[in-house]
Amino acid sequence: MFAYFIRRTLGVIPVILGVILVVFILTTIVPGDPARIMMGQRGDPETLKLIRKEMGLDEPTHVQLVKFYKDVFTLNLGRSYRNNMTVIESIKSRLPVTATLAIGAMIIAVVLGVSIGIYSATHQYTWQDYLSMIFSLLGIASPVYFVGLIMVIIFARKLGWVPGTGLGNGEWIYYVLPILTLGVRPMALIVRLTRSTMLEVVHQDYVKTARAKGLKEKAVIYKHALKNALIPVITIIGLQTASLLSGVMLTETIYSLPGLGRLSIQAVTNRDFPIIRGVVLFMALVFVLANLLVDLSYGFFDPRIRYE
Amino acid sequence: MKKKLISIILTAVLIVGLSAAVMAETDKYGGVWKDALQSNPPQMDPAQSTDTKSAEMIYQLFETLVEYDSEGNIKPLLAESWDISEDAQTYTFHLRKGVHFHAETEGGTPTANGGREVTAEDWVWTFNHITSPETKSPRAYFIDMIKGYDAYRNGETDKLAGVRAVDKYTLEVELEKPFAPFLGTLAYNTFVVMPKEDVNKWGEDWNFHPVGTGAFKFESWEQDSVVRMSRNDNYWMKDEDGNQLPYLEALEFRIIPDYTMMWEEFQIGNIYQTYVDDPFYLDAKENYPDTFFELPQLGTYYYGMNVEKEPFDDKRVRQAMNYAINREMMIELVQNGRNTPAKGIIPPTMFGYNEELEGYSYNPDKARALLAEAGYQDGFEVTLQYNTSKGHKRVAEALQAQYRQVGIDVKLQNLDWGSHLDSVERGEAAFFRMGWVADYNDPDNFLYVLLHSDNIGPEGNYARFSNERFDTLTEYARLETDPEKRKQAYQQAEKIAVEEAPWVFIYHYTTHSLVQPYVNNYELPAFGQHANLFRDVWISK
Repeated sequence: MFAYFIRRTLGVIPVILGVILVVFILTTIVPGDPARIMMGQRGDPETLKLIRKEMGLDEPTHVQLVKFYKDVFTLNLGRSYRNNMTVIESIKSRLPVTATLAIGAMIIAVVLGVSIGIYSATHQYTWQDYLSMIFSLLGIASPVYFVGLIMVIIFARKLGWVPGTGLGNGEWIYYVLPILTLGVRPMALIVRLTRSTMLEVVHQDYVKTARAKGLKEKAVIYKHALKNALIPVITIIGLQTASLLSGVMLTETIYSLPGLGRLSIQAVTNRDFPIIRGVVLFMALVFVLANLLVDLSYGFFDPRIRYE
Repeated sequence: MKKKLISIILTAVLIVGLSAAVMAETDKYGGVWKDALQSNPPQMDPAQSTDTKSAEMIYQLFETLVEYDSEGNIKPLLAESWDISEDAQTYTFHLRKGVHFHAETEGGTPTANGGREVTAEDWVWTFNHITSPETKSPRAYFIDMIKGYDAYRNGETDKLAGVRAVDKYTLEVELEKPFAPFLGTLAYNTFVVMPKEDVNKWGEDWNFHPVGTGAFKFESWEQDSVVRMSRNDNYWMKDEDGNQLPYLEALEFRIIPDYTMMWEEFQIGNIYQTYVDDPFYLDAKENYPDTFFELPQLGTYYYGMNVEKEPFDDKRVRQAMNYAINREMMIELVQNGRNTPAKGIIPPTMFGYNEELEGYSYNPDKARALLAEAGYQDGFEVTLQYNTSKGHKRVAEALQAQYRQVGIDVKLQNLDWGSHLDSVERGEAAFFRMGWVADYNDPDNFLYVLLHSDNIGPEGNYARFSNERFDTLTEYARLETDPEKRKQAYQQAEKIAVEEAPWVFIYHYTTHSLVQPYVNNYELPAFGQHANLFRDVWISK
């Protein structure tokens, strides 16, 4: 297990180095001059030159690339072109909101998704099964923007159960609708996947054997069937982490929440390269780590994987 | 008995009325103004601000020497009065006494300046700070006509020679040459007085800890979430009855990036003011007839034609482009009739606007004839480049259909704002969307800035228009101080530009704002909501 852990962890390093290179190339070749955007619609060339110099945009590309690698490894990602806040501070101030949303949505998606999926599989072709399938289909098909808007109209304006969008003074109630909105899609996916893999597993010989041994149905399902049925579900959870990171951009926009998604959208619009690079690197790191965790957990759920 | 009864009733009515009036007076105080901004203001450092969101914040916290009234006329603010020398090159400002910088900020923390009085020396320091090359202010060039500007910027001198403190309350500004719209430029949100102690204390982080003299002081700024300000109890301004301003206890600007959500929040009652985007515009106008404010804005929406590129190097083609479109129909069709068709460049409420200007009416036959004359009897194909936005797309599609009728095949290409601006400035785009809203209320800000040959490229003349007579007229009007002569010069210059048609003149903007019925003393400024001040707004809720 240790060798497997080391092998997988070392595999992350070239990925990170590659991500840094890709982020740099993307932000270099994209058209649009950040200094120019900062100046507004009209600007005097003299000041523009001064600003470009300060941003380091007048240096040759290879010099900028070497400097970028150095900056990343010394965690000196610079300051936003737009408002002069350090990149680290910009990310730090937005991270709690995005993390709350993503973790909350994932907990809801996994807990409800797996539970409903198991229930559906063990009650195949009942009305509860059909109902959960219809809802999960709707969940997958509904865009985040649509779900968010409908939720605000129903729960904030019509029923008045939640105060509205934004963060208020940080009260938990403000997170309820965004977390539900963000969690709906991954939950629906997990419901469907858990149901289908469970159905596959419960028809396998070892499950029949477990039943033939006279084990209680609960023990058959939770002890024998579930562990094997969860492997594809774990894969989906890993992949959904990436999808959540893009989902937060929309959720944060609809609910006016100050998170990393909003920060990155604004940074792209304004060609705020230090922020774009910082956020993309951070998200890539989260994504790589999430996948690493998923990979490592395979080893736990399926010992055969460790010895490959 | 009857008389006695009547007098008792009258006395009672009088007492109730009087106490209601007294109540109303005291009731004006208090309350938090809840507003929404569509994006996070990037700058609260006036020297670095270039956008309207930042401007709205800065106007509450800081103050300029002069300001615009709601009709767009200059009036005193921190300068009580001013004298202009005969040669129109020296402005002497008599400063208001008893104006203090904020003594506290951010939850009662004392500021570095300690709340001291503003003097002429502070203005000298501020002008030097803004124009210093080290500050790299994107708007310093607005005042490049001040004597010694170039020498200071080039490092030949260590201060801006043209700005001097005559005494504690008298500030003198000397210009290299007369510049008629000078006072107007001073009302721009960059040219506010700043306390050097606080600017120096915060250095690179000054943007996040603004300290000014405004009616409100800075409290907190949660990025992308909310900006909070509180009442400046030591504010110098009083209302007409001698009561201390401002009435409001605090201001809260939430960042709500989505207009649909902004509309929802307004209906819930969580915000008191909102911009209403389609498809809710007509609903809002109908349902809130008394609190829906709408007025012409000092701005023009146009399609620029690069006069150096084919086929727009031919004046007849440019004129045909103007005759081919039905502005009124487009505005009715895609904008709920809310903008004013443009005959020329200068917007209707601006000084120098020419009501008799003929402009281009919808005349497809004339457009076809002009095209044929220019050798394009079969029409031509051209790409219209615009910056990505639903509104621009709708206008472009409506006009595309009209151009097709005269044989011009317009392809649409949208780019994000940065890339669009980049390619337009470099003269790469032959046909492009653009718009302009005034920095200061003077035709100079339209005609000279956007069409003088000195400004070809990033400085504003994107159509690369060059006309000697036009240049002479606009230069003359900058120097001339007689309003009537200036007006004539601008009207002649505009006529030339309309005849030469470097733009398709499309429409003049209107601006609007919807407020809750319990908001009092709200006025929508001619520059738009971003220039609004909440000094005497009060809430009756």
